Amino acid sequence: MEFGTIEREIYIEASPEIVFEVVSSPGHLKEWWPDDARYEPAPGAAGDIVFGDPDAGGAVVSFTVVDVRPPRTFSFRWTHPAGEVAAEGNSLLVTFDLTPSGAGTLLKMTESGFREMGWEAAVLEQQYREHATGWDFYLPRLAPYVATLRVRP
Amino acid sequence: MSVTAAEDVDDGLWSAIGDPTRRRMLDLLLIEGDGTATSLAQRLPVTRQAVAKHLGVLDRAGLVRGTPAGREKRYRVDDAQLARAVAQLSSVGAAWDARLRRIKRIAEAIQRTQQD
Repeated sequence: MEFGTIEREIYIEASPEIVFEVVSSPGHLKEWWPDDARYEPAPGAAGDIVFGDPDAGGAVVSFTVVDVRPPRTFSFRWTHPAGEVAAEGNSLLVTFDLTPSGAGTLLKMTESGFREMGWEAAVLEQQYREHATGWDFYLPRLAPYVATLRVRP
Repeated sequence: MSVTAAEDVDDGLWSAIGDPTRRRMLDLLLIEGDGTATSLAQRLPVTRQAVAKHLGVLDRAGLVRGTPAGREKRYRVDDAQLARAVAQLSSVGAAWDARLRRIKRIAEAIQRTQQD
């Protein structure tokens, strides 16, 4: 199976225990990403994250914890339709892997599920179309994004 | 610092364009300029009813706009909204870079507090 994945790595001068807490706890999550986060950091726990004010055009997005192994791994799925069980094909999977490195931590983030959700397939498919369509106007804007996707066998 | 909804992934937009039949429909509408459920169904291996349902999803996501044409609606692609969908896609990687920089800043601040 092929899938598109975004991968990022960053070195953090803090212990894996601290980094794990920052990437996994709802209290910290909303310091670096959504405006609010409502979930239990336990495997299988379903909740949501909130962007903006839900009563004023904000967005409530499904969020389900997948794996919690302190201080090494935290993963979750998001963007699945509300009320649906998060699974491959209806959501994006984000995984944080923490590796001790010197006095700090190497944090690796991967986000996958784009192919399953059709996005990367759409991009690749449209790139190879021979006939000129409106997509030609949009494709140049996609290139920087496609370059960040890795296709795996 | 938090990220506003506008900068983040718009779930409705993503799922609207995530379906291969709907992408094909957008493609046909872009090539032909406009189309109805009937005209699109003639070009696709799905029923008119299925096309109408997909048009409804695209309409709710703002990707197409329909105007009454006899008993049907004639649809066109909303260029601005399609451009917005594409821009969101390309911003995903950049958004993660910003989030990771914030994670680093927060964790390092906690580490320094504990060392003091």
